[in-house]
Parts: sequence; structure tokens; C-alpha cells
Amino acid sequence: MAHRSQIAETEAKYGPAWIDHAGIDPVTLRVLGGAFNAVAKEMAHVLYRMSNSSIIRESEDLGCGLFDVVGRELCESETSPMHIGSIPFYVRGFMEKLDGTIEDGDVIIHNHPYHGASHTPDFGVATPIFHDGVLIGFAAATAHLIDIGAAAPGLNIDLIDLFAEGTLYNGVKLFSAGVRNEEVWSILRDSVRTPDMNASDLEAMIAATRRGRDRFLALIDSYGIETVLGTAYYWMDYSEKRLRAEIAKIPDGSYTAESWLDHDGRNWDTPLKVNVTVKVAGDDITIDLTGSADEVETGFNVPFEGSLKVACYYIVRTLLLDQATTEDFIPQNDGIFRPVAVEAPLGSIFNPRFPRACFARMAQIQRVIDCVIRAMAPVMPDRVNAGNSATVMSVSYSGFDAAKGQYWVCVEVNEGSYGARATKDGLDAVDNLMANTRNVPCEEIELHYPLRVERYELRPDSPGAGTWRGGVGHVRDMRFLTDGFFSCNGDRLNEPPFGIFGGDDGRSGRVVCNPDTPSAEDWPSKASGRRIAAGDVIRIMGPSGAGYGEPRRRDPARVLDDWRDGLVSLDEARSVYGVAIDPTRAEIDQAETTALRSDAAE
Amino acid sequence: MRRIGVDIGGTHTDLVLIDEANGDLVVHKVPTSVGDLAAAALSGVEELCAKAGTSLSEIEHFMHGTTVATNIALEHNGARVGLITTDGFRDILHIARHKRPLTFSLQLDLPWQSFPLVQRRHRLTVPERIVGPNGRVERALDEEALRDAVRRLVDDGVEAIAVCFLMSFLNPVHEKRAGEIIAEMAPEMFVCLSHEVVPLYREYERFSTTALNAYVGPKTAAYLEGLAGILGDAGLRSDLRLMQSSGAAITWQAAQKQPVSLLMSGPAGGLIGGIWAGRQAGFDNVITLDVGGTSADIGVAPQGRLQFKHLLDTQLGPYNAMVPMAEVDAIGAGGGSIAYVDSGGQFQVGPRSAGADPGPCCYGKGGVEPTATDCLVVLGRIDPARFLGGRQPLDAAKAIAAVEGKLCGVLGMSGHRAALGAIKILTHSMVQAIEVNSVRKGYDPRDFALVAFGGAGPLFAVDIARALGVPTVVIPPAPGLTSALGLLASDVAYDFSQTLLTGTAPESADLERLSAAFAGLEKRARDQLRADGFPQAAIRIERIAECRYEGQGYELRAPTPPGPIDEGFLGKVRSAFDAEHDREYGDSSPDKPVTIVNIRVVGTGSIPRAEMPGIAEGTADCPPAALSSRSAVVFDTDGEVSVVDTPRYDRDRLLAGNVIQGPAVIDQMDSTTVLAADTRAVVDRHGSLIITFI
Repeated sequence: MAHRSQIAETEAKYGPAWIDHAGIDPVTLRVLGGAFNAVAKEMAHVLYRMSNSSIIRESEDLGCGLFDVVGRELCESETSPMHIGSIPFYVRGFMEKLDGTIEDGDVIIHNHPYHGASHTPDFGVATPIFHDGVLIGFAAATAHLIDIGAAAPGLNIDLIDLFAEGTLYNGVKLFSAGVRNEEVWSILRDSVRTPDMNASDLEAMIAATRRGRDRFLALIDSYGIETVLGTAYYWMDYSEKRLRAEIAKIPDGSYTAESWLDHDGRNWDTPLKVNVTVKVAGDDITIDLTGSADEVETGFNVPFEGSLKVACYYIVRTLLLDQATTEDFIPQNDGIFRPVAVEAPLGSIFNPRFPRACFARMAQIQRVIDCVIRAMAPVMPDRVNAGNSATVMSVSYSGFDAAKGQYWVCVEVNEGSYGARATKDGLDAVDNLMANTRNVPCEEIELHYPLRVERYELRPDSPGAGTWRGGVGHVRDMRFLTDGFFSCNGDRLNEPPFGIFGGDDGRSGRVVCNPDTPSAEDWPSKASGRRIAAGDVIRIMGPSGAGYGEPRRRDPARVLDDWRDGLVSLDEARSVYGVAIDPTRAEIDQAETTALRSDAAE
Repeated sequence: MRRIGVDIGGTHTDLVLIDEANGDLVVHKVPTSVGDLAAAALSGVEELCAKAGTSLSEIEHFMHGTTVATNIALEHNGARVGLITTDGFRDILHIARHKRPLTFSLQLDLPWQSFPLVQRRHRLTVPERIVGPNGRVERALDEEALRDAVRRLVDDGVEAIAVCFLMSFLNPVHEKRAGEIIAEMAPEMFVCLSHEVVPLYREYERFSTTALNAYVGPKTAAYLEGLAGILGDAGLRSDLRLMQSSGAAITWQAAQKQPVSLLMSGPAGGLIGGIWAGRQAGFDNVITLDVGGTSADIGVAPQGRLQFKHLLDTQLGPYNAMVPMAEVDAIGAGGGSIAYVDSGGQFQVGPRSAGADPGPCCYGKGGVEPTATDCLVVLGRIDPARFLGGRQPLDAAKAIAAVEGKLCGVLGMSGHRAALGAIKILTHSMVQAIEVNSVRKGYDPRDFALVAFGGAGPLFAVDIARALGVPTVVIPPAPGLTSALGLLASDVAYDFSQTLLTGTAPESADLERLSAAFAGLEKRARDQLRADGFPQAAIRIERIAECRYEGQGYELRAPTPPGPIDEGFLGKVRSAFDAEHDREYGDSSPDKPVTIVNIRVVGTGSIPRAEMPGIAEGTADCPPAALSSRSAVVFDTDGEVSVVDTPRYDRDRLLAGNVIQGPAVIDQMDSTTVLAADTRAVVDRHGSLIITFI
């Protein structure tokens, strides 16, 4: 049966072409604008406080917001940037199938990466919002579910196709008109290794979206639908205008950078090219990935819409409306996406063809962002930074608990570090770029899993040198107390973060099995369910950021501080920075430093 | 009983004295000195006593609210701290939770890295390891390494040492031994052991709390020692007690060891004062709103009970401190909040503030950007001639010029409309903050009274109450002194907690351990209160279980019953937790296993509540002398600007029982109350205004 289109109906009645916001006074605009953001924040709060898995509750790997019927974003929680801007594609994805059949009380689940999902473990949950019987939009959330029944527990990379990633839900109604579909619920539970956790997390997502719906309807109750939607569209135009004004300040032209990813997780000796061209024309910006590697045979491909586009929106906003230097509040909404076009040829690693697997995509899109920053450095030296860790080392430690009859899976998002800036050092050991999660406390890990954290601190070697130095990465040693499995999706063990304006490169990361023992072994950046014996230790080292500017221009007092804090050695102070330190007195030898630095100048 | 409360804030010190024998309330206000705080406090106290015709030796109860520790942390001028921790974990404080405060930024700073509580050179590690789940020693403490570390820190001139070992909350044996060794090697050192400061799990938060305690410790301890000495020399015979972030008091000796518990005591004092003022007026369910020049503090107290922040949210500035903090939400909205049009053309009010200097334009001290106060002058709500009882006349022309010059042109609005708009934006930000703390936590504002105080609270209270659906507003008699009075309305309380991680189901519960743990904490609380001189009858012990559903990461506080700790007890804990979960998240799962993560015991030594003095009685009609003038006041009537000829009353002349019908303005020395046309105020027996909507 053909359904009438709910999208068409709503767009004709309440769409931006019909809703006039010119008459809404500035005070109401301001008040409602604040209210939208409060709703998104509240939804996120409900979700991460109620959920069970550490990746949601501690890492806050989630997104929540309100969307109109075509998926235009009204507001979104500023939780993990990876989720910000991806939900519109979920809405568009499931509406391809469900338009005309949405009922009040439905709850829709979706995770199909060829229909807008960011990747299969990032489940989308949407609750439709009806006003006077008309579908006006969705309150929706995305969150990373700990296991979705893929080939290996937790994380996966060496997959033959999309179907090996786990169960696909393409716009499936978990609730129909308020009634839970028990058959779907049963599949959701029975097809995964962590049924209780997934169930709790989905319940938290549902509660969050219902909360969002109720709050939005309360606003409509108070202000009327024309005013509420009119205000929403006003703020989209506003954010767009602010971003365009910044793009217009960049000289028109093409800016390029390239970089190489380690490998695809199976073909260990084949590095993969990332080629970025940023084209600026007036107040439009295009990020073109043409020239990058072809799609790969493993799960190391990038969903074009739900992941690549999201990354491009992220870096354009971050470079041009940096929150640390922009005083005005500019809401995150659909307007931020409009000036940004993204291109990648079909069949490339950034726009794979169905049914290529595309489970692991953070490393690639982080590298795209790092390349955009490097490409733009010559024309905006004050806004960029030197090379970042620009990867995310996601790790899963797992095993089967025979007593409980269930797997235990501990997923951890390892931090990165930032490259140096024009007037300050890079940030040490912190989530980088698209990642912004919270670490799981070591004490939490040890109390819940048969694991022992043996080390968690800054790595012992120095970061990229420069007038301003890069941030220092971390080192973490994890010992298995029982037999289990290890998976990881990372990158940047080969090419280090690049220095700029004379700064040195940073340091690449490492994965080592049984470090500091005779059987120590360096492992590649990707692993799918490697068997681990009780007693084995896995070491993860995050990359350290690159330097900005000539190291010999660094203030010697800062070099001394870094030496006292164990971040540079005496030799490096001397040979890299041209600073002579008297270690017994912990002072700079001024005369020798002057001599060292003048030698270098000649 | 004679009681004194001394609240030393950033700019001024409020002093209050209540003499219950004759029902007198004496107040005094002096500028806060920048030099010797203790000496300045003493002279203020002596002036107060002189005003009240009494002497320090006759004071039976002395309470103090101080921002000394808070300022040390916020101004980054604390002690040079050394940290000794487990090998392999040198940088827990530096990595924190590895999450950035800003999402879209390359140029941001991480305050805990820019302003570390402990520099990396002073973070030293030693071999040792305790492991879960039962606190087994896996690797013995290397005492030689420890001595070596202490020696290095002492040589480097550290003033305090924090000892933070992993899993010490399960077994403190290594931290205790480290404490002994430090005491032996450096007897004068200010030492903080993490299991003593906060024996709870999550290493970053525990380490940070301990390091922060060490950071503010030496200076705060010295200040308290000095103040106690100077007051004692001047004749004070009662204990000097301090307000904590939890809203309860502790002795100065206890505060010396645990100064981290004082960090958010200022806002807590306001909340306690608001609850007390509400209760005196007959309202138990209160929302408190304390609005000053730069910020508004908001609290919600159902049944007059404080709510507490989640221990992962308790922060001072950028530093985590896992200590009980009363839930007070501060937002940047006050009389000095600047109204402006930002570079994108948006109408904004706050959080930027003109502060006290230059202050609002109408102060005539050089301010050029219009503030909320200027808008209120433009609207005729503040009478320029009567500001601060006429002691600081305001320049209305400057207020009008600022609103017209900076807002009207850009916004295309009249002066009245722009000023009304600014006030609406400001009040709405307060409405939103109250909603976050009430409706969104399962409380219905219609069941509450709004107690508004601080100099600016009464100006906004009616608009806020209307927007929230709160039926009643209470304006205490002295809005500017409510926080200081709060000091006289608090009990002494000690809070002891412990991470336990046990189930509530009979098969998963460790009743023996639970029982022993509660007994241990209860004994500590009782011993401390007895040492403070409280008789058995004045001691109250409250048990709290911080629970979550198995697998969750955030606990909620469930009140737990007294009596034997048996299966019946567990059942009550579990149902109390289900109810809390339902209220907080709108959902509960009575079938899911529940874990008791931490237990907490609060031992309270109750102090008889001060009574607010009464005022003379009158009839429903105000005495004619109370009607001071009539003036044009601007109100928002269904979105339209209306200028209304409005009576102004002199609050000091109102009598108990008087009824005032809005529109009206009630002026007093330290505040102004605005009644819209849809409200009516009744003066109660203490002089509080009880405002209801018609």
C-alpha cells in the first residue's frame, strides 16, 4: 500500500518555506534558543546517567537532539563530536523506508551505515513528535552499543563484508504506537554477547528521547508551533550566516595536504593514502577526498554520510568558530552543515560501495581532519595547530565468563594528544579532535573485569619539539588475569604527527605485547579478536603531538621546566633546543646556551 | 542564647547577632579587608557586640562562613604540594578524565594541566599495590623508595604531601604506613592520606580531592588557628565553627584537617538561610533564589531537605573534589549583568557583569554598558533616589542613555521595550536553571514556595515564580543578610563514607561487612560529636546508601532506615533506591539487581534553631506612613509595554497583617520588591512578605 508522505505534508504546513520567523521578537528568539539547548543537554544527561555500559556512561560516546521531519537539526548535545551531526543522516535513512507509516508512540531503531548510520555499533533511537496529529519531527539519540553480534566481541576490523559487522536494523520499529514489539526485542537480545547491557542501554536511549519529545511539546504548548519552529529555523539561518562570514575571510583557492594510514588490518604492508583538497570559493567550502586510497577489503572503510561528512562539519566549525576564541554563543544545528560540501569518489575508502564493511572509521576521519588543519596552516597560522595524534585507539578486552554464561567486554577509548599552537604548547594526554570521551577509572576496570591496570601515565619519551612543543601521549599497560581476546582499531603507529613552521614531528603510537620482557612483541595498530593468555600484558602508547616553530626559539625557561618535569632529557635540551642545563643546580647555563644557539644560527 | 554569624565574602563581611532572650536581631556590615582577615573579623565582631550591648564572652554560639579556602583554589596561590603515588600512575591528576571542556576548539586550555595542583616534578611514585576485590596486598610497600621520595620532596621545599595509592579505599595499610614515615621524617608537614580525605573509589576524583585538600590546607589551617586564637584572646569561650559545602557546620579543628570541605560553603550558607526563612514563614518545600550583583544561586529543598550533587559533579572551578556539596546551581545573572547585542546581532544579558567597579551606568562610576540594574531604573522599578535607603542616589539619565545608546538603535526597540526584554532574558535564564533542578528531577514547582533574597532576588522573584507556576513567593525581612542568617540556622554535622560494593539481594549481600562498616562510621560520627560536646539526646545519626543498578556507573543516594542491618533492611534500601531512580529519571527497574556502592553516615549535633524576631502587628490596611510615594513603573502586560502609576511602600513601616495589592513596589534599605498587577503580598509576623498570585 502506498502511504501519503508525512514529510511532504509537514513540509507544506510547517517547513521553513512556510514558517515565517521575521515576526518573532528577539527576546523570544533568545529564550527559546536557550530552551532548545537545554532540552538536548537534559536528554544526554538522562542517557548517560541511566545507561549500563561504560562506553556510554563513562565515555559519553553518545549524541542526543531534536530534528525536524526531514532531519534538520534543531539542537544537539555537545557530548561526543563523532555523534554531533550524524543523527540527521539516521533520520533521513530510516525515513526513506518509513515515511508515511510513523505513528505517535513509535520508537524507531536504526544502524544501517548505507542508510545514514555512522557505523553499525552506533545505534540510533528516534521517538517521533506529533502535534495535532501531524508528525513534526523526532527526538533522537545515538550511542555506541558495546556488542552488536559481530564476528568478534566488541570491536572488529578484519571483516569480509557489512553483514559480518553484526545485526543490521534498517528503520525497525521497536515500539509501534506505544506497544513494544517483543519479537524485535528478542532478536536484539539474542543476537548479541551482552544482552543485559544492550537492553539497559536501549532503555536509557528510549527514556532520553521520550524526555526530549515531552520537553519539546511543552515548549509548543507555551509558545505555539509557529513560534517554536520559526525560532528553530531562525537559529539555523543564524548559525549558517556566522559560519559563512568566517569562510568568506579565507582567501579563495585550493589547499592540499596528504598523509598515510598504516594499513587496512589485513594487508599489513600496504599504507593507505589520505589526500585532502580544501576548496574555498566565497563563503562556500568544499572538502574533497579525491586521490585517497580505494575502498579496502576489510572493515576499514568510512561511511560517507554518517561519518565522513560529520568529520568535515566538525573541523570547519572548529577552525572557524573555535569556542575558546569566539565569545558569542553559536548554536550547533543544521546551519553549521550548510556551507560545507564534501566529495569523495564512490568506491574510495571514504565512499565505499555496498556491501563493503565499514566498522572502523575513526582513524581515517581523524586523519582527514588533521590534513585539513595542515592544508589551511599557511592561510590561518593563528587558528591551526601542529600535527595531532589524529587517531583513536579503541581497544576491547574480552573473555567468556563460564559461570555467568556471558561474555565480558571492556571497551576503552585511548586518549591522544594535541599538536602545539601558535602561542602555546599542545595539550597532553587528552581525547583528540572528534573524540571527546571520559576514561574509565582504573579502579572501575579492576573491580568489574578480570584485568589489572599496571600503568597509566604520560609516556616517557619527549613529544615533538618546537618553539611550542606538542602534547605528550600516554602509556597504559593492561594485564589479563584470565584467558581472553584482544581487539583494537587504531592507526598512526607508522607516520608520526607532522610539525609545522619549523617544529619537529611528534611521535607515533605503539602497541606492545608483554613489554619489557624477553618475549616483547610490537603489534600492528589493528587486531580482531586475538587470543590472549592469562598473565599477558598489552601496552598501548598514544602518539605525542608535533611542534610549532623552530625548537631553538623556545624560551629556555620552558625547556628547563620540561626537563625538571621529566619531559625532555638533558641531551635533547642541548641538541634539539640548544639549551644547556646544569643538572646539579637545576639551572640554565646562560653562556653555553647563548653559544649553542648562535652556533645553530650560523 | 546569643549567637553570632560572620560571613566574610569577597567584597563585604556580614555580621549578625541574635539574642533569643529578648528577641533582638542586630546586624552589621563592613567592607572585607584585604590584609589580615582575622584581625578585621575581630574588629567587626567587637563592633557588632557593642551595637548589641553585649560582649564576646557572652556569646554561646559562633559560626563563621569563609571563602579563604575557595579563594586559594581559584586564585592558584596554594601550597607547594608533593604527591606520592603508586608506581605506574604518576600522572592521574594530569590526565584527569581525558575529556576536554570544549568540543569545538584547537586553542583551548585544560585548566588542570595549566594550573596543576601538583607539578609533575613533585609527583613521585613508589612500588606498592593493593588489589580488589578485597584489598589484598599484591606488592608490599617499598619503604626505602618511600623515604627517598619524602626526602626529595622535603629538599624541594614542598609544604604539604598528599599520599594517593590505588585501591587504598579497600585497604589503607600502605597509606597509613606512608603517613607514619612522613610524620617521622617531616613532623611539621601537612599530610593528606587519600583514604582519610575521601575513602571512595575512582582514582582521579579521590586523588584530586586529596591533592586539593593539601593545596588549600596549610594556609587555611593557619588562618583558622589565627582566628580562633584572636577570638579566644578577646574572650570568646564557645567553639568557633565553620560552614561546610554540605550546609552543616564543623569545628575549626576538624576544618583544619579537611579544608576541602569548606570550598563551596558560601552558596550552601545562602541555601540554608533560604530554607530557614521559608520555614519561619511556614513553608517547608522551598526553591531558594539568591541574586547578587554578578550571579544567582539557585537551590531546591523539598521538605526543607538539602539535595546533594553527584560526587562526580562536585567541583571547585576546574578541580574535582569528591566531598558532599549541597546542590546549589550558580548562573551568571545578577544586577550587574550586562545587556548587549553581540557581534551576530543577538540580544544577550550576562554572564558578563559590570561587577562593583565600575558597576551599572547609573552608579556614575564610569560604566557605559547597560546592566540589569540600569534596565530596572529605566523601568521605574528601582527608584534612583531611594537606592540603598537613599545613601547612594543613582543617575537615571545615565541608565536611560546607556539603554538607548547601546540597545534601542541596534534592536529597533523603544527604551522601555529593550529594558523589559533584557529583564525577560535574564529572568528566563534563572527560570531555566530552576527547572533543571526541580521539574527535571521530578519535583513539581507548583508544590513549592520561592524564597527570594540577596539584593536583587526580590526584583525578579514574581516574574520567575509566574513563569515556573510557583504559587507563592517569600521575601525574608532582610534579603541582603539571609546568607549570614543561614549561619545561625545550621547544625553541626560530620559526614563519613566508604566504598563497599555489595548487592542488596540476600544472595549477593554481605550483611556482616555492611553492618560492620555502618557501625564503624556511626561510631566515628558519634565520637566526634561527643568530643564537640553534644549530649546523647542532641545527636542524630542518618544512614545513606549510594546505590545503582548493577552495571550502571552513577549512584543515587537512597535514605536508609535505622535499626538492625538484616534482610528487611536491604529490602527497604532497595525500594528507596527504586523510588529515587524513578524520580530522577522517570524510570525504575525493581527486578534488576542493585549494588550498594558507597555507604555514608551523617552524624548531626542539633543546635536549637534561632527564631526570627517578630514585628509589630497591624491590620490589613497599611499604615498611611508606609505609602511613601507613587511613581510610573513599566510592566509587561501580555507582551505589551504598559506604564502604570504605581504606589511605593516603605518596607520598614509595614506591620504584620498588612496586605498590599499589586501593582506596587516595596522599597527597603538593601532591596526592592516588585509586585505585578496579578499579585498580592501579605506581611507575616516576622515581617516576611508572602506573595501570591490572584
